[in-house]
Amino acid sequence: MSDRFSRRDLLHTAARGTVLATLGGGAGFLVKKAHGQVVWQVDSARCLNSRLGEVGVAACNLCTTECVVALSAVRAVNDHARCGRCNICPAYFNITSAVDERGLPSEKLCPRDAITRRPIGKADPEDPANNFYEYLIDEEKCDGCGKCVMQCKEPLGLGSIVLRIRYDRCVDCNRCSISRACPKDAFVRVPAGQALP
Amino acid sequence: MIAGRAAKPAESRLRAGLPAPRRAVLALILLGAALTAQTIPYQRPVDEAPQEKTIGGGYRTPAVQKTLPRSSWLQVLDVVVLAAAMGVSSWLVLKRRNRRALVALAAGSVAYFGFYREGCVCPIGSIQNVAVALTDPRASIPIVVIATFFLPLVMAVFFGRAFCGGVCALGALQELVLVKPLQVPRRLDRALGWLKYVYLALALVFVLRPAATRDFVICRFDPFVGFFRRTGAPHMLLIGGAFLAAGMFIGRPYCRYLCPYGGLLAWCARLAPRGVTITPDKELDCGLCTGACPYGAIEKMRAVRRNCLYCARCYAACPRDGELAHARAQLVKLS
Repeated sequence: MSDRFSRRDLLHTAARGTVLATLGGGAGFLVKKAHGQVVWQVDSARCLNSRLGEVGVAACNLCTTECVVALSAVRAVNDHARCGRCNICPAYFNITSAVDERGLPSEKLCPRDAITRRPIGKADPEDPANNFYEYLIDEEKCDGCGKCVMQCKEPLGLGSIVLRIRYDRCVDCNRCSISRACPKDAFVRVPAGQALP
Repeated sequence: MIAGRAAKPAESRLRAGLPAPRRAVLALILLGAALTAQTIPYQRPVDEAPQEKTIGGGYRTPAVQKTLPRSSWLQVLDVVVLAAAMGVSSWLVLKRRNRRALVALAAGSVAYFGFYREGCVCPIGSIQNVAVALTDPRASIPIVVIATFFLPLVMAVFFGRAFCGGVCALGALQELVLVKPLQVPRRLDRALGWLKYVYLALALVFVLRPAATRDFVICRFDPFVGFFRRTGAPHMLLIGGAFLAAGMFIGRPYCRYLCPYGGLLAWCARLAPRGVTITPDKELDCGLCTGACPYGAIEKMRAVRRNCLYCARCYAACPRDGELAHARAQLVKLS
């Protein structure tokens, strides 16, 4: 009786050893090719450019509608060093709307009113309205629709407004629904070190 | 194109006064310029942007808004919490034999792995990442995912399915909603149990396709992640709700019949030298624990390691549980 038990124990120990060795081997193989971290990234330079006639609509909007979290993990940010600081910014104003009494377009472009601006630098004594402006995007309001990004694209804009992922919202889905919907392969997963700044 | 047009008159003006080799070099440079000009049709140079000294008035350019990825030490913390929770789970179940504390641990896991981490990264889904990384040489996998996949399996080889008990957010959620457990007929239970292997095979088939057509079925049809994220496709929320509603009476339907990771854990747990022990002595064969086990994991008065989900309900139903927890009674090794 005790003999049978001990044989069974031996078999169990052997099987356990085999399984542990397999698991260890698999883990070791994977660790060798592992990256510290991979992140999703959206490269708005690669996304649809309606200014170059790629779509009939203003913006493809999929970054807003496809994300699995309630407020999309994609949002627009303004890279101030590249910003033209224009008075009539096509990303801030709806430049097709009627001109008001100040000589500016009467409507704003952002559907969620997430962009604010303030005049900066030396005021022009001849024309006080002719200022440089700093454009700030409210992170909490922006839902990543990309309308302003489209307007800021070449050839009119300098491309200072870009789409970026807010990693505090992104849940890093294996099957990112935005990346699957993206028509231009602009949404990719890269090792964190290689991500856009 | 603009650069190309501008280059032509310059070329004709220069050509007259230059010796042949220099002309060739110049032509090459201009050809290069024309080629690059073709690939970049038009670009407004970024250095047109007014900078601090153009703007004046002491203006300082603000930093670009940035949300960094979750810092690496927080990711390590996830793995540490996972390992610690599994340690606590096995200690509570094997040593303390305490269901109440286990329920508290389950609630904590639902809060941390479920609502705080929003269900990601979980060992169940990591099967797919590991499978992809093993087969696709170009696929990358974070170390945290590797640890998340292997830790519970190693744990299962030694202690059984400690992960399933109060650590897995999906399992813990179902554990918490199971208020009136009904026994599933043993035959039906066994037959349905095979489904998880079918699901595992299907998931592998879908994920081991070429990168462009790869599909992460396990994540896509995770029934509870929508609750953790408080958003999701309506049909998945509906399915999740149905699972939870059924889970009020049928013990952990997802874990027992669908969870592909549960299938792997079951195989590892077969080998575990330690596990839940019932029937502490021969004279007490009341069978209350068998009736109390909602998962059909007690057969012939023994806890079956591969099916035992570490819920500790059998202890709670045991009239002698108090004695055992305080080590006043001695356990006899039987299996």
